[in-house]
This record gives sequence, C-alpha cells and structure tokens, in this order.
Amino acid sequence: MATWFAKQVSPTAEIRSAVPPGLAQTEASSAPQTMRRTIYAPILPVQTAAATDRGIRITAQLLPYRKIALVVDRPLLSGISYWCTSQTEAARCSPLASALFAGGGVESILLHETNVTVTLDGTGEESRDTAAQRFGETIRQHLESGRAAMTDAFLAGLPGEEQIRASLQAVIDAEVNPSIAGHSGQITLTAVKGNTAYIKMGGGCQGCASSGLTLRIGVEQAFRAAVPMLGALLDETDHSAGDNPYFTNPAPGSRA
Amino acid sequence: MPRLDMLQLTIKVGERGLGRNPRYEINGFDLEFDAIEGGCGPNETLKLVGKPKRFPRSMTLTGPDEGCWDIKEIIATYHVATADFNANDSGPYTLRLGAVTLDAETKLNLWYERPPPLLEV
Repeated sequence: MATWFAKQVSPTAEIRSAVPPGLAQTEASSAPQTMRRTIYAPILPVQTAAATDRGIRITAQLLPYRKIALVVDRPLLSGISYWCTSQTEAARCSPLASALFAGGGVESILLHETNVTVTLDGTGEESRDTAAQRFGETIRQHLESGRAAMTDAFLAGLPGEEQIRASLQAVIDAEVNPSIAGHSGQITLTAVKGNTAYIKMGGGCQGCASSGLTLRIGVEQAFRAAVPMLGALLDETDHSAGDNPYFTNPAPGSRA
Repeated sequence: MPRLDMLQLTIKVGERGLGRNPRYEINGFDLEFDAIEGGCGPNETLKLVGKPKRFPRSMTLTGPDEGCWDIKEIIATYHVATADFNANDSGPYTLRLGAVTLDAETKLNLWYERPPPLLEV
C-alpha cells in the first residue's frame, strides 16, 4: 500500500520519464521548481481598418446578455453619464437615447463618455449585427446634426455629487452590506464623479464568481431606486486579487 | 473548450532582455517553442511559434530564471480548433498585449478565449 501510494504522489523518475516529447525535461528536472505568480499584461486594441470614408468612426462589440457596446471616436457626454429604460423618459432627457429607442427592440441604454451600451429586449427579429449597424448609424446622424446628447431640463435637474454620495452610502449601510454580510462580502463607494458612481467589492465578493450578478441585480437596483438620475455604476475591483471569494471563479482572470 | 493547434508570438523586447530561450507552460506543463526567430536581447524582436495541440485551461510565458525581462508588446495569434461548426468561431484570432516586466517569480498569462467580434458600424 505504501509503495503504491508513493508512486501516485511522488515526482519519481518513472513519472518524469513519462513526460511527452517536446517538454523541457532537462531544465524542469535539474532546476529547483519555484511557484511563479501569474501576472497579466494590458490588452491593447488590435488595429483595424478605420471607416475613414464615413467620417465618424464607431465600433461595436456584441457582448453576452443581449448587450451591444458601441465606442465612438469622440466624447458623447462630458462629466456625466445617463442610463434609461424607456422611450418616454429618453424623450424628456436625451435626444440621442430617444433616437436609439425609436427603432424598437431596446431594453436599456447607457451613455458614458465615448461609450453607448444598448441592451436589447429580445423581441426584435433582426440579428445583433444588423442592430449594431442601425445603432451606429443613429449615433452618427445625431453627431452630424450637432444636437446635444442631453436636454437642458435633465442637466438642470441633476443632483450634486455630495447628495448622490450621501444617498448611495445610506443604501449601502442600510440594505446592501447587511445583505451580503452573510457571504462575508462588503461594498465600498469609492467615488462619485458627476452622476457616475464607482464602487469596490471586498471580502467574499472580491473574486467571487457571482459578483457580477450581485452587482447588477442587487446593488445596481438598490442604487437606482434611491437615486433615479444615477448614470453609470462602475466596479473598480481587482477581482483577480481576491483572497477569500465566496464562490471561486473557475476561470482565473476572467471578468465577472 | 477550444484546442490550441498553434500559437504565434511576436515579442518586442524592452531595455532588459532574456538570457536564455523563452519557454511557456500549458496547464502547468513546461514546453519549448517549436520555432524561434530573432533575438531576445535588449530592444530586439522575437518571433516564436508553438504547436501545442492541447486544450489550455491556463497558458503562461515563463519569466527569466534571474533578473528581469522587459517586454514592450506582444502580438499573439491563436490558431484554434473547436468542436462546433459555428462559422463565427473559426479561424485564428489575434490579441495585442501591452508592456510588462517578468522576473524570476512571475509568469505572464497568455491564454485568452476568442474576444467578441469587433464591428465597424
């Protein structure tokens, strides 16, 4: 029994000799093996042919959960962001969002700096490629018209940063953190810039495979109920550095 | 899970080079590249080809045994084979990785699934 066990668990010469050809056996067997830490390099955009004949360059990525992320080569909003879920609300606040809703099939729209994120409602019959082309053309037409992305009424009604911060902190203290304490998690509000909120997820949430769900279904809904004019909600957590995640993500480095 | 048939790396080396041939790991197994062109000295460009024909759960570029190795940029092209017949999921894909420094205690993550398609709209 002891001999069998030793063969199964020890790095013996017999096991090393079974390593397939091509492996660096010499160095692997002679040099002392140290546990190396995996690090990540920033991912840079791959150069693609720009649509120079169309003037304004817009790229689109088709993301999971019916989302289309469009990036424009110039800012759409400066210092604020905008999120909405209905054509009626968009018509009152944002001509750009209203135009995007007009084609139908849209569940929500987020405008932030140079980005437009459209979530489809799943009722449309057109492909997501076609929908992305339609949204790109709508954004291009809006920019060429010279109209502002947001109405004066929306800008006048925006609460101040301190007011937003106080409201969100109250929600964190009263609802969010008590709810996730059972998983040893905690949410920290790190900054409010304009009406954009930045948070960090700590404890059991940092690196947890369900942190994205917690953020979108739990935290975001509570925040939007408290501050209806909240724009983007951005997670600044380095989830790869979590040392005690409640559910371990099976794919190291993948984003929640 | 895709099978990685071939990996092509173009590495632009920074101020500090690598004193030996580069190696990589798949799923913890130490591998040598099948073809090496160029040099890994300071400010040189290195072209590497690996033909692992394996299903990576992890893939890393091993750092130097001593000192530091500065990398300005890596262009990585992945030739993968998948079991399904989705036309959007075929053919090689390329990623650009930015500047990073490796040392005797680190290895650089090289495994990335195919990114969502980027469309000009």
